[in-house]
Amino acid sequence: MEINAVLTLQHQEDSFAGKLYLFPPFLCFVSLDRKSVRFTIPLSTIRRVERLNSRAGVFALSLVLWHGMKMIVQLTSMRSTAEAFCDRLRDGLKVQLQLGQMKQVKPFAKTLYSETLCGDSLPAEKSKDGETSPLVDVGATAAAAKMGVEDADDGGEYHRGLGSEFKFPGDAKKLREASKIKLWTAYLRAHGRHLTLARYPQCTRLIQVGLPNRLRGEMWETLSGSLYLRFANPDVYQSILKEHDGKTSMSTEEIEKDLNRSLPEYAAYQSEKGISSLRRVLTAYSWKNPELGYCQAMNILTAAILIYMSEEQAFWLLEVLCDRLLPGYYSPSMHGTLLDQRVFEALVQRCLPLIHEHFTSVDVQLSVASLPWFLSLFINSMPLIFAFRVIDCFFAMGPKVLFQVGIIIAILKINGEKLLEIQDDGAFIHLMRDYFASLGDSAHPNSSDPRVKNITNFQELLLVAFREFSVITDETIISERKRFRAGVTSTLESFSKRAAIRNLKFTGRFSKDQCGAIYDLLFKAIWEEPPRGTGVTGSVDSTGRPETRISMNTFKQFLCYVASWARNELVVSNGFQQRIQRDVVDHALINRLFYSWDYSSKGALSLQDIVMGLEGVMFNDLMSNIEWFFKLHDKDKDGSLSKDEVLQLSESLLFIFRNEPGDAYLGAVSRFMTNAFEYGDSLLEKGDDATGDPEEAPTNQPYLTLPTFRMVVLADEILESFFDSDLSASFRFDEPAAPLPDEPTGLLGGLMSTILTKENKNLFNRVADEIGKTIGKHQVDQRPAIGKLGKELALQEPKPRETLLTPRQRSASSGAAPSASSPEPSTLSSQSLPNVSQLSLSERTPVPPVTPLIPTTIVMERQTFAIDAAKDDDEEEDSMYAIGGDDDVMDEVDAFLEAHDSGLTDAQKAEAQGEARIRSFGAASDIFLV
Amino acid sequence: MADNAETSAVPDKPIQVKLVLLGEAAVGKSSIVLRFVSNEFQANKEPTIGAAFLTQKCRLEDRVLRYEIWDTAGQERFHSLAPMYYRNAQAAVVVYDVTKATSLEKAKSWVKELQRQANPNIVIALAGNKVDLVTASSAAGASGAAASNGDDDEDEADDATATPGEDAGEAENPEGLRQVPKDEAQAYATEAGLLFFETSAKTGEGIVEIFTEIAKKIPIDHILNGRGGASRSAAAGAAAADAVNLQNNAPKGKSPCSC
Repeated sequence: MEINAVLTLQHQEDSFAGKLYLFPPFLCFVSLDRKSVRFTIPLSTIRRVERLNSRAGVFALSLVLWHGMKMIVQLTSMRSTAEAFCDRLRDGLKVQLQLGQMKQVKPFAKTLYSETLCGDSLPAEKSKDGETSPLVDVGATAAAAKMGVEDADDGGEYHRGLGSEFKFPGDAKKLREASKIKLWTAYLRAHGRHLTLARYPQCTRLIQVGLPNRLRGEMWETLSGSLYLRFANPDVYQSILKEHDGKTSMSTEEIEKDLNRSLPEYAAYQSEKGISSLRRVLTAYSWKNPELGYCQAMNILTAAILIYMSEEQAFWLLEVLCDRLLPGYYSPSMHGTLLDQRVFEALVQRCLPLIHEHFTSVDVQLSVASLPWFLSLFINSMPLIFAFRVIDCFFAMGPKVLFQVGIIIAILKINGEKLLEIQDDGAFIHLMRDYFASLGDSAHPNSSDPRVKNITNFQELLLVAFREFSVITDETIISERKRFRAGVTSTLESFSKRAAIRNLKFTGRFSKDQCGAIYDLLFKAIWEEPPRGTGVTGSVDSTGRPETRISMNTFKQFLCYVASWARNELVVSNGFQQRIQRDVVDHALINRLFYSWDYSSKGALSLQDIVMGLEGVMFNDLMSNIEWFFKLHDKDKDGSLSKDEVLQLSESLLFIFRNEPGDAYLGAVSRFMTNAFEYGDSLLEKGDDATGDPEEAPTNQPYLTLPTFRMVVLADEILESFFDSDLSASFRFDEPAAPLPDEPTGLLGGLMSTILTKENKNLFNRVADEIGKTIGKHQVDQRPAIGKLGKELALQEPKPRETLLTPRQRSASSGAAPSASSPEPSTLSSQSLPNVSQLSLSERTPVPPVTPLIPTTIVMERQTFAIDAAKDDDEEEDSMYAIGGDDDVMDEVDAFLEAHDSGLTDAQKAEAQGEARIRSFGAASDIFLV
Repeated sequence: MADNAETSAVPDKPIQVKLVLLGEAAVGKSSIVLRFVSNEFQANKEPTIGAAFLTQKCRLEDRVLRYEIWDTAGQERFHSLAPMYYRNAQAAVVVYDVTKATSLEKAKSWVKELQRQANPNIVIALAGNKVDLVTASSAAGASGAAASNGDDDEDEADDATATPGEDAGEAENPEGLRQVPKDEAQAYATEAGLLFFETSAKTGEGIVEIFTEIAKKIPIDHILNGRGGASRSAAAGAAAADAVNLQNNAPKGKSPCSC
């Protein structure tokens, strides 16, 4: 809940108008200009709320925080709103009290150095809340610590970084530590501290001159917001460490490699103490965020922040950095890094067009130099003391600082016009390196005024950065990131696609483009149906690169795209649109393929497996296809099929032919079975006369060999043609001249293309179907997998070839064959009930819309599976066009819409009726979608 | 290019050669560069973020070559940044670690990528680094390393090992660390048309040779003229080969290239 308010702090003269927000468990304030004053305080730090005696029309609250600071907020919204706000605030506070959060504040504060700074000055005000002496104690221990007493285990001890033991970088005197601390102490006393810090303009100024070393860690936490995470998640860091103690992962191995090479020049990282702190923080984070794991540069960053803060503080700061401040910078794809480089280049182009132009003309990429700046926040580019000051501003003001500072480096160089002289990457990098090295030098060495002379390059850098480039706001960055996101993503995608294809060890007869098509379909399938199960995750290929593997469920989805028999393809027309709907199917044949393609027996397929698998079938001729199919069903690889396997093979064939029109394929399969068993039995008899009755032979005995299988297949025209070309051709990557345009046309089509997400599309399709059903225009047709046989052909049974059995064989096996084959036709024919009626029709589309208002008019009643009617349907369709059935459709639509309009509000109705029919149509659909 | 063409008349103006180092993390890319550029070795070198840039001049015949070296980050996730650095490179050194078999696989995939995506005339060298870890005492174990690198190898081998006493004790151990046989890598390099070296950034073994051989193989006239027939540049390269002013056996001395 938000409300207009005017904020005044006790003992402060300034008041600021702004907005007060209540997001339990936080209370936030932002001044109207969005930068002068801000605070975010947990409700649990509020100890007392009083309604002040109101003068006429003034509604003011006094909030007393746990350390006694008082702030007055005057609620300037309407009285009822103000009262509602107070109610919410009261409820929120009650919840916090019940949760026991109030009690957490004081122990938490003890971990912070600012309590040591300010603590001893406020005992009097404390007593109001019944909190008396503890704070003094904190002050005492801290004071003791300051004097060099090491007692890290003391619970009352504030968190500190390695710097307190190994010294902070830079000369304390030169950095004017003492006076900075004095200023900050005064500020923190007046404006709250850590959890309750209110940021006034003075705060920003103090940050810009550099935070004092001892306070730096805490202020980073506070400014970045990681403090709130640490407050809300006590003990999480320790428990992550405990839980994963002794475990290793890819990330921990990578971390181990880099531990000795993180700020190695800093004393702490030459000692076991520093190294093990670094190890703990990095590994804990890699366990917390396993998807990100560990990225080089994080080691440098972490090593740097550990100088100023404790492990736990650093852990949470790292979380905020990776998650919020530098999103995607350290992820495995590093998309955030690439994205921000693009943004940076765009900003340079906008702010410094001359430089950008020059760089383009000499073909120098900014990112060659700027990338490490962003990745390690200047820590390994600038001298440490300056890098830390940039980081101060970064935490206080957000990522825009990097862009401002980054750009500024360019602008400062433009002063000497040196940048415009460089001709290549190398000169650019050298220039930058020299400049960084000179940051501590005077910017005006020749000035006679000593004060001017004392201004260092770094000071000038910050000055120009914040004064001249304040036009770069967080909003700029956010919108620029948005602008480039799609581009960067597609670059990355095409990059990983190229790499994946390049790394294929075997591509066989596939061209690069074909491999690309397989890759695309594979990832389309993964997107649609994410792989699950073992063997899928954590796979790495031979070069240690993470490898994508898919499980059975994804494979089915994939095959559904690739093989025409591995999907149920429905042509749905509902009077408005016609679309093809593809559904995944399930059959033992698909499982068989999956396992036969799993060349490394991992229970999951890689891109390589799939390429090899497809290669093994898509280029086959008649003989090799027959062999391929045979082997697919020869589970024990003994070179012959058992009776069971022959049955399974027949089932597979029937599965493939299930949607073919006519009985021809069905007939072919049943003939195949008859022949196969005839042969098998005759061979079996001939082979071992001794065993007696062939019917009693176990069903898992070798029964049919490849040559016999081949002969049986070749005995049938349809099967021969299937194995000759149809099987291989049933695998296709491209959508070959889709009979129906995938993108719907016409009025609703236009509407459809604006409905971007898949869910909306599905919803839309459902709605359209419903309308179609209501007006009797809905129909669904199966499309055949092969579709080779036209209706004419399907209607007449192809003549079976003469059986190849010699008369003697035939007479010998005549007794056995029928018993085995007779049940088949009756049980299986129902599976493959062909549905031919609309076949020719759907293939002849797209039907041109007759009027702009009627997208596709295929006006037919739902057809039963009438093979004979196919011809008539065509005629009927034609006649519908001729006599202008379109009007009828439109009338029906209108009637339907009117019925729906009655349920609309008046406003909607007015809109719907007042506009053209097109509009009313759209409005109605919108409502359905909502 | 235009700039270079102008300067071809002035022999002392260095010829710029852009060279990129690629390879798995922690195989010693940065150390190889450091050895080459400043003849130093640091045990704990900070990992390279993005890429580092260094230059080193070499005198070749009457010309001066100026190597502009892009030393890239090795961690897998930095892979997508690499094209930025190998763009327009005339030479590449792909490094693997002789004690880690997977690093050769990674190197192979880099070679493949370079051959397909980079400048078509790029000269690629394959370097098996950390050979000091597998070089036993000069007599017994150096068979692999000594074979092709010439007569100074015996000295190198001695330098590589810390103390003679240790050598005797661990005469077999060092070779045991080796996971990539030299023959195998050599065979691969020949097949893929790469220069091949086994190196040690720690001792300096083989480092200078990489850059010398690359210098010989680079079609310098091609760079100078921006065109130039293949035959002509090949001849020039062959002629230059004998006159390279680099000393092969100077790992302990001053920086090998006069800058």
